[in-house]
Amino acid sequence: MHLTVRNLAKAYGFLWALKEVSFDLPAGEVVALLGPNGAGKTTLLKLLAGVISPTAGEIVLDGSSFSRSATVQRSAVGFLAPGEHLYENLTVRENLVFFTSLYQKHRALAQIEGALEEVGLKHRSEEYVATLSSGMKCRLSIAKCKLLEPGLLLLDEPYGVLDGSGIDLLESFLRAQRHKGSVVILASHHVARVLTLCTRAVILHQGRLTFNEARQQPWDSFTSAFGEFLPHGESWTS
Amino acid sequence: MDFLNQTFLLLRKDLLLEMRRRESLLTMFFFGTLLLFVFHFSFDLAPERMAEMAPALLWLAFLFTGTLGLAQLFDAERGNHCLEALLLSPMDRGALFLAKTAFNFILMVLVEIVVIPLFWILFNLRSWDVIPNLFLVTLLGTVGFCVLGTLLSAVTLKARARELLLPLVLFPLMIPVILGTIRCMESILRAGALDDALPWLRLLIGFDVIFLTVGVLIFDWVIEA
Repeated sequence: MHLTVRNLAKAYGFLWALKEVSFDLPAGEVVALLGPNGAGKTTLLKLLAGVISPTAGEIVLDGSSFSRSATVQRSAVGFLAPGEHLYENLTVRENLVFFTSLYQKHRALAQIEGALEEVGLKHRSEEYVATLSSGMKCRLSIAKCKLLEPGLLLLDEPYGVLDGSGIDLLESFLRAQRHKGSVVILASHHVARVLTLCTRAVILHQGRLTFNEARQQPWDSFTSAFGEFLPHGESWTS
Repeated sequence: MDFLNQTFLLLRKDLLLEMRRRESLLTMFFFGTLLLFVFHFSFDLAPERMAEMAPALLWLAFLFTGTLGLAQLFDAERGNHCLEALLLSPMDRGALFLAKTAFNFILMVLVEIVVIPLFWILFNLRSWDVIPNLFLVTLLGTVGFCVLGTLLSAVTLKARARELLLPLVLFPLMIPVILGTIRCMESILRAGALDDALPWLRLLIGFDVIFLTVGVLIFDWVIEA
C-alpha cells in the first residue's frame, strides 16, 4: 500500500480544521501522528478513512484517487478506535462475522476463533459485547482489525484502557502489519510509546503540518518541534 | 458482494438486534393498540360513516406508531459509533438505506396485521371481506411512509431534538401518501373495489417508486451531512 496526500484541506463551516496537508508514505511506513488537542489529527484520520470528504485536496491509494464513493478502496482501509465500532447487543463472534462479511472478507469460523484466541477472548465468544470490560472491547477491536487485514491502518488513541499484555498484543500486531507492507498511522498522546514503534513522525498544529520527518537517532529536530507541546516545565529527549 | 447481499446482511443484523431488544416493535404495538382504544371510546362510528372515518382513523394510528419506530431506527448505530463503523466499510450506502427501510416496513406490517383486525372488532364492523384489499393498499402507503421516513430519519440523525423535528418535517411531506391511501381505502369500503380511486393508486405507486429510487441514490450524501 502506498499513500499519497496532496494539499488536503477540510473546513467545518467557516472553521478550517485542516489546511494544505501533504505527505507521501511508502509501504511499511509506521507514522506517529502527533499534535495538541484540536490540531486536526482525528479529522485527518477520518478523511483518510473516507468517513468524511475533503473540502480540497486529494488522497491517492496505490496510484488511484480515493474518493468517498470508492467502495473497493474502502475495503483496504482499517480504522482501529479501541472499544468502539462494535454492536453491544451482538455477541463477540457475531460482531466479527458481521464486519468481516461487510468487508467482503468472509472468514471461516476457525479463523475467527483463532483471532479471538490470539487476543484472549475465545472463552467469551458467545457473550454480548455489552458484557465485556473496556479493555476486552479494545482487544476485540484488535481481533476485528486482524481479520480485516487492512492495507492502510488508522489508529486513534489506540492504547485506550489496554493493560500491559493488551499493549504488547497491539504493538506486535502493528509490527506484523508493517512487515506485511501496510501503512500504519497512529494518532496518540503516548509519545514515548509511539516513537518506539514509528518509522516517521508527523506533527499537526492548528490544522497545518508543521513537522514530517523519518525517524533518526538522535532526533534533535523532533525534540525542538515537539517541545512546545509539552506541559510547562517538562522537557523531552528522543 | 453485491448490493442485495449487503442489504440482506444489514437487515438481518437489524432484525437480530430487534429480536433481542424488542424495543421498537413492542412500543409500536402497544401504542397502536392504545390509540385504537382511545378512538373506540372517543368516536361512535356509525356504519354509514364507516367508509369516511375508518381510513383516516387507521392511518392516524399508523402514522403515530410508525413515527415511533422511525425515531428509534438508527438507535443501534448511535451507540459505540457503529454508524461510523458502517460508513467506514466498503458497503454501498444505498444498501443501508434499503435495509433500514425494509426493517421499518417489516415492523409496521407486523403492527398493521394486528391493528387492522382489532379496529374491525372494536368498531364492530361487518365487512371482513374487504380487509385483504384494504391491507394491500395499506402496504403501498406503508412503503411510502417507510421510504420517506427513513430518508428523513437519517437527515435529522444529528439534530438535537430529533424526536420533535422528525414528525414536523415528515408529516407535511407525507400528505400525498396519506391522501392517496385514505382515498383508496375509502373507495374499497364504499364500493368494494378501487375503480374510483385509480388515480390515487397510481399516485401512491409513483410516490413509492420515485422516493425509493431517490433514497438509494442520495443516501450517501444524506448520511454524511
